[in-house]
Amino acid sequence: MSETPEKPFVPDEPTVSRKFWIALWLTCGVSVLLELLVPRHVHFESSDSAFASATNGFGFYVALGFLACSSAILLAKGLGLLLKAKENYYDDTP
Amino acid sequence: MTLLNSIPPGLILILGAIVLLLLPATARKAGAIALAALGFYAISQLEDGEQLFPTLLGFKLTLLRVDATSKAFGYIFTLCAFAAFIFSWHEKSRAENTAALVYVGSALGVVFAGDMITWYVCWELMAIASTFLVLARKTEKSLKAAQRYILVHLTGGLILLAGILLAIQATGSIAFTSEVLTQNEMAKYFILLGILINAAAVPFSSWLPDAYPESTIMGGIFLSAYTTKTAVYTLIRGFPGEELLIPIGCVMTLYGIIYALLENDMRRILAYSIINQVGFMVCGVGIGTNLAIAGVVAHAFCHIIYKALLWMSAGAVLYRTGKSKCTELGGLYKTMPITMILGTIGALAISSVPFTSGFVSKTIIVATAEQNNYLWAWLVLEIASAGVFLHAGIKFPYFVFFNVDRGLRPKEAPKPMLIGMGLLAFLCIYLGCHPAPLYDILPLVHRSALPEATLESTTFSAIYVDHFANVVTMFQLLAFSALAFFVFLPLLKRTPTISIDFDWFYRKGAKWFFWTADKSLNGLNAAADKYVIKTLLPALTRFALVAPATLTAMALKPVWRAMDPDEAGLAKRRDELVAKFTTGTFPIAYSAACVLIILSLLVLIGRTAD
Repeated sequence: MSETPEKPFVPDEPTVSRKFWIALWLTCGVSVLLELLVPRHVHFESSDSAFASATNGFGFYVALGFLACSSAILLAKGLGLLLKAKENYYDDTP
Repeated sequence: MTLLNSIPPGLILILGAIVLLLLPATARKAGAIALAALGFYAISQLEDGEQLFPTLLGFKLTLLRVDATSKAFGYIFTLCAFAAFIFSWHEKSRAENTAALVYVGSALGVVFAGDMITWYVCWELMAIASTFLVLARKTEKSLKAAQRYILVHLTGGLILLAGILLAIQATGSIAFTSEVLTQNEMAKYFILLGILINAAAVPFSSWLPDAYPESTIMGGIFLSAYTTKTAVYTLIRGFPGEELLIPIGCVMTLYGIIYALLENDMRRILAYSIINQVGFMVCGVGIGTNLAIAGVVAHAFCHIIYKALLWMSAGAVLYRTGKSKCTELGGLYKTMPITMILGTIGALAISSVPFTSGFVSKTIIVATAEQNNYLWAWLVLEIASAGVFLHAGIKFPYFVFFNVDRGLRPKEAPKPMLIGMGLLAFLCIYLGCHPAPLYDILPLVHRSALPEATLESTTFSAIYVDHFANVVTMFQLLAFSALAFFVFLPLLKRTPTISIDFDWFYRKGAKWFFWTADKSLNGLNAAADKYVIKTLLPALTRFALVAPATLTAMALKPVWRAMDPDEAGLAKRRDELVAKFTTGTFPIAYSAACVLIILSLLVLIGRTAD
């Protein structure tokens, strides 16, 4: 099982390193550049809805990925105010 | 091996489980691995068609219906069991080993059942066997969770049974086919509801994150694979193209993400993630085209592999540290690097990262939503794809293996665990790079009618070179999801809390209902006791006794006064009369006189009437 370290343990700071940030931004940048080079598959060709055609716009997946995840995090944070409870919340129930 | 052609594969595992009960621990564990392998082999030997038709209560059962769909599910069920039994070599519990084998066997029973009675019996056997995998944790929490789990499943089972009986009554057939299941409207919705409870569809979903994280390490792996995927299989059989399933599936995908983001317990995060993933499959069944169904089968196959892998990595962490909360874990990459790498492969596969199995299966379902012009469903599935990366792809490995080093220095997972995880991690990457073996076992009837060459393009170059644009868009979606995760990381700080889910209604709600019922009904009971039992009824009794005595005394008073004018004597006679009325003891002469008087009156009345 878990072993206690010999020296008094000092926790790491829960930060993300600068190198990681650079790598992440580079990855995002490369993914955007690739779209310039590769013709995308056209969605909903037969549909005449404006939203359907918007899905074929440049950077649609960039916006979708970032906005969907940001919204999910913010929504979860907001709902957390309502839905989070102490761990012993159900202790007195069957 | 011709015998294996005509034995239901589930029966091999169930009978084997009984035999293994007699063996010592090591032989039992080796036997379980061998049984899973034998089951896989037996399925590979089965020929398409129906066989084994015993009669029960006048109904001709079909114990073995073999086609591409049942074989695909059979393969993955036994393959997962094989890896899970290797992983669980540390587990010596006789009950757990048996329960797991019976659970897998009964799931195979459902998959190969050709009639509704066999389906239902195996369905309920699954519920019972799986409950033991939660109970085996032997904690107070697991005991209560198992109690709630079996109650939910028995309720779902009864709803399903009601639907099956209605369907049999309406059609006169017990065949487990879409036509029989959906012919009668009421039967259809009962059956659908019974299945959706097992599929953990919202709002009948909370039993899953309630019970699975309370199971044993071994139990969690098995539970993650069978109940919900068997439900998906029955949806494929009974309700392909049922459009109601599209919004239900979409809601499941989003619900799973939000709750997984809220959760602190690593196994509960994975439990919510199951609901999210099953949502994709339910949606695919709702779309219902040949390609969509093929996509659902493919996704169920890949999902079982990477989800079991994720539960294994979480199980290895739990085994080594005894902890499962993100607030107590972190920094484990330092001493459990192999578990971290294997778990991360599972996390990447569930996120559909290119070159992993999720990419070659989930994208089929999303593509069919687009092909069939389900614009909003397509958008929700794309959003959910991003969300999967957020909660399962990054959150799970980040908070367990990285984040804050909390000073935990556990050993690396034991070798059998690493072998079990390694096998599944290999499959995640192998199928992602070379999906032909997977596509080859998908339902042929569906493949033959493919509108596009989607599944024909099974080579690496066809998927990753010819359709490089799809790789780029997936790459963008995932990269910017990761960016959002790290930008908003401070908002994702874990707290030692739980999340209130729909089970609140039967946990807290039931308690309140009990309190209300207790106060109202027992209050009513107490009031009835006080005013009716203790006041009104004695008063009525007294009245019933005293009133005739008083009337009689009034009638006799002139006679008594004539016999004895003394007031004291009158009072004494009156008291004696009341006492006689009260005890019901009259001298025989009195009774005879009364009878005589009544008879005389009757005769008189009779004559008057004449």
